[in-house]
Amino acid sequence: MSQPSASELPLSTLGCSQPARITAFALERAEAGWLQALGLYLGEEIVVLRRAALGGPLHVRTGVGGEFALDRRLSAKIHVQPLAGK
Amino acid sequence: MTVALSKELELDAADSVVPRVLLVGRPNCGKSSLFNAVSGGHARVGNFPGVTVDVLTHDVQLPGGGSARLVDLPGTYSLEAHVDPESDEGHARATIERARRERGPVVVAQVLDSTNLALNLRLTRELLRLDLPLVLLVTQRDVLESEGRKLDVALLERTLGVPAVWVSARGADTKAVVLGALDRLLSRPREHREVPEFEPTELAASAVLAPGAARVDGRLKLFKRTAAIDRWLMHPLLGPVAFLGLMAALFTAVFLVADPASAVVGAGVDLLTRGIQAVLGTGAFSRFLCEGVIGGAGTVVQFLPQIVLLTVALELVEASGYLARGAYLVDRLLALLGMGGRSFVPLLMGHACAVPAITATRTIRDPRQRLKTILVIPLMTCSARIPAYALLIATFFPGLNAGGRAVLFLTLYALGLVMGAVASLVIGRSVLRNKKSMPLVLELPPYRAPQPKVVARAAWRAGSHFLRDVGTTIVAVSAALWVLLSVPVGKAPAQLRPDVPERTQVMSRSVAAEVGKALEPITRPVGFDWRINVALIGSFGARELMVSTMGVIFGIENADADHVGGLPDEIRNATTGSGAKAYSMATGLALLAFFLLACQCMSTLSAVRRETHGWRWPAFLVAYTYAAAYAAAFLVFHGARLFGL
Repeated sequence: MSQPSASELPLSTLGCSQPARITAFALERAEAGWLQALGLYLGEEIVVLRRAALGGPLHVRTGVGGEFALDRRLSAKIHVQPLAGK
Repeated sequence: MTVALSKELELDAADSVVPRVLLVGRPNCGKSSLFNAVSGGHARVGNFPGVTVDVLTHDVQLPGGGSARLVDLPGTYSLEAHVDPESDEGHARATIERARRERGPVVVAQVLDSTNLALNLRLTRELLRLDLPLVLLVTQRDVLESEGRKLDVALLERTLGVPAVWVSARGADTKAVVLGALDRLLSRPREHREVPEFEPTELAASAVLAPGAARVDGRLKLFKRTAAIDRWLMHPLLGPVAFLGLMAALFTAVFLVADPASAVVGAGVDLLTRGIQAVLGTGAFSRFLCEGVIGGAGTVVQFLPQIVLLTVALELVEASGYLARGAYLVDRLLALLGMGGRSFVPLLMGHACAVPAITATRTIRDPRQRLKTILVIPLMTCSARIPAYALLIATFFPGLNAGGRAVLFLTLYALGLVMGAVASLVIGRSVLRNKKSMPLVLELPPYRAPQPKVVARAAWRAGSHFLRDVGTTIVAVSAALWVLLSVPVGKAPAQLRPDVPERTQVMSRSVAAEVGKALEPITRPVGFDWRINVALIGSFGARELMVSTMGVIFGIENADADHVGGLPDEIRNATTGSGAKAYSMATGLALLAFFLLACQCMSTLSAVRRETHGWRWPAFLVAYTYAAAYAAAFLVFHGARLFGL
């Protein structure tokens, strides 16, 4: 389990269309491994396309083009670093 | 010949001399489409992650004269990340592991989607670490070429050190190209392979080239089109409304088409029955054939149009890529009911028929959520409850006009949903409390046009499976019930009563009637007598049989699910042995409560057994729904009596 640095924030709070890079997973090793297997890798660029209503899942797109629906609580445990100038 | 293997995925030791080709790939990479193209097409294909839910095998002749067995494994994202061993992905992985340990010739063919190569190459890295011969079958050639892009296959082969081919599942030469590649791989002596180091994103960027061999700049039109559609269909407010509206419209349309088709099938069954009676007369054997065997089969066959049309509707939504988005849109809504977005479609289908709905839960990756959905689906108001509800409402609420009856029907539908939510929460916190749930993580594929041939094949498979798996169960149970309802116990009275039909008199002395009477001490507290007990026994196999069983009991011949005729009056006016009224409105309400909750459907239990690989969960389903039905009937019966009903 990793701790976020000061400039990092949970994916759940990242603004829509703001590119960021995945820096850490505050998850058990198995869960983090599963997310990476799916396509959400450490160091991968990610952007939140939209959020479902009433605290529903996030719709995200990764740098290589994969699109995913991510549970909101789970996304709070994915730390990202917003990419400046993008 | 294509064969569906069981969950255990046992690859016969006796067949170990036949080379096996394990088809591996990420969910939704086009693996099943490719399998269909090579095998002539029997695997189920869709645009929803995880649609290969049975493992299909197909024996192929190789161009070099040999043969091989293609094994289409469920999609897997990784061979190294932790997965539930009981999931389809877990079984796929176990098959690969077993193949590694066995001595027979085994090769792995990875299917990769060339429109999203980088994602697919991550799995390649893991497959390269296996000590098994590997060939890459890169698909979606037609999509990439339609945008002027090409794949540098030689670069892939050089970098990864394994053979590769680039094909389109719809291509005329696909089968020959794939089988040629497999033949070459199988005829090569097995050698140790160095695992190359490569960065998937970089390799994909170098291998997929724009016109003039330039590096690709910008996304494929396929993804741009998807983004444009998603702006509307995935809108936080419009999206869920559009999805729910579209699904409601789709299912309404299915019923509008299925109902007349079912009526035609029903008329055909009637014609057959009359034909048999004309030839064989009305003796015991003829009655057994007509009422027991054909009556049971007819009940099943009349559901066939629904099953086929629902499959077509679901396939269209799934193959388009919209179903995965639907799961995203309603995930939060269903979380309130203790379930997740992927449960939505099976629950919706459950309002038509629980059998295909239970099969549809295969798309739920979370085993806990899937099991919970399977156990809750039978509480949804399926179409088979409608004849029973219609009879009970007509019997016990004779004064209600059409509007009042519609309100009562809607209330029963709503109660089904409420009870489903309650059951989901209770089951989640009791019997499944030790099973860990997985949050929603779902790949959203780009929108694609469904392939009519594939949709038609899925409908054919659903229809034939339904008739084979379910039809046999219902026929057997209804035939057995007919015997139990027709074979008298003890000596017949010297003279039959002229005012009561002979069938009814025989029925009242039948094995089933004796069982019904024996059950009275248990069912009296909820207001049921032996006649209702017999009807409940009769409807254990299929709840719609309750109407015809009641019809026979009350001496109304030819009572069936669609024509309740004078039966409501007969039931309402039924008397006990002492001449008192047998039933009150409280009885009717208790019966409605019972039918709302009890899983009176052998087909459903058979489907649950098939999907859970044993009798444990079907037994639990019967136990919990009957216990809940009895408790609800008891409360309703005594509550209604307190109000003088």
